[in-house]
Amino acid sequence: MKDVAIIGSGPAGLSAAITLINRNKDIAVFGPAGGSAKVIRSHEIRNYLGIPAVSGEELAKRFADHAASMGVEITDDKITAVYAMGEYFALQAASGAMYEAKRVILAAGVTAAKPLPGETELLGRGVSYCATCDAPLYKGRPVAVIGYSPKEEAEARFLAEVCSAVTYFPVYKQAPDLPESVKVIKEIPTAVESKGLRSRAVRTAEGGYEADCVFILRDSVAPSNLVPGLDTDGEAVIVDRQMRTNIPGLYACGDVTGRPYQIAKAAGEGNIAAISAAE
Amino acid sequence: MLTTVVNNDMSAINASAAAFVDLNAVWCGPCRMLGPVVDELADEYDGKVDFYSVDVDENPVIAQQFGVSSIPALVILKNGKPVASSIGFKPKAQLKDWIDENI
Repeated sequence: MKDVAIIGSGPAGLSAAITLINRNKDIAVFGPAGGSAKVIRSHEIRNYLGIPAVSGEELAKRFADHAASMGVEITDDKITAVYAMGEYFALQAASGAMYEAKRVILAAGVTAAKPLPGETELLGRGVSYCATCDAPLYKGRPVAVIGYSPKEEAEARFLAEVCSAVTYFPVYKQAPDLPESVKVIKEIPTAVESKGLRSRAVRTAEGGYEADCVFILRDSVAPSNLVPGLDTDGEAVIVDRQMRTNIPGLYACGDVTGRPYQIAKAAGEGNIAAISAAE
Repeated sequence: MLTTVVNNDMSAINASAAAFVDLNAVWCGPCRMLGPVVDELADEYDGKVDFYSVDVDENPVIAQQFGVSSIPALVILKNGKPVASSIGFKPKAQLKDWIDENI
């Protein structure tokens, strides 16, 4: 079991990581090896103290090199759920692995995932984010899948084996590679609606498509879904000045806590979160 | 203590003054994570609240009665009447608050 698990390898996550290494903590950092895509994509940064006018690519490299020089290892596995078990945290990853840590620092950045109208209201009652979890509840029943990346096609394929019918809405350009039994609708969903006690529908500009359950599968996970029970204010995780969230032992820092979305702010908050987690 | 419900038998749940029902399934990840938390709560509330575990595959009639469309689903009943329900994993501290507010 690690002392601290850090979710995110951007400036907030790496700043937290180096601070914890300084305090001899046993840590795990989850995220892309190269760091934050957002930083890398930035054209030029002029307000990161100590480094006048630097490209995003160069700054990201400096962050990665600094962390590596202190022995920080980045595990490229996407955390899909964090369970607060009381005395420790269990982290579920996309690879299927389960990690455990006494404390968690959430530095996952800001997600672009905005819920569709009706999505939050119907979640758990005919709207689901997890095909593997809920597919058996819809055995022999018609379902709809809204996939935000080609990766989600595997989930649609799995559902097609269990459900009576699958209607797939690809929210991306690439043509889906799916069995003939899956009906592909190339229309952009605009809302999810309730059509009665057990029936839901996906609404698009062209019409409505009924299903018993609508699976909404996105790549990014909103913080409140990633950590069940976490208090958020819209997309931002609520923290106090010590970066503590409402869940004891779980801290948040960087873009995930809200504006301003600045690298210097992220690094500063990462530092604070690490010191709080090390107590 | 935690009782495993079988054969769609609601009699014990209905007879309890205060019952906490955990609706789950073996194939459900979050349900498995909630299991140890519910076990601990059952011990802590021993004598005050009766805890029940209902596998929705083994007890489909009960699952339908509670209108379960997503699991884990938790229901608090007082003398057989549902007074509160919750969907999904919740941290132990929050479940304790939820139980205290509703029993």
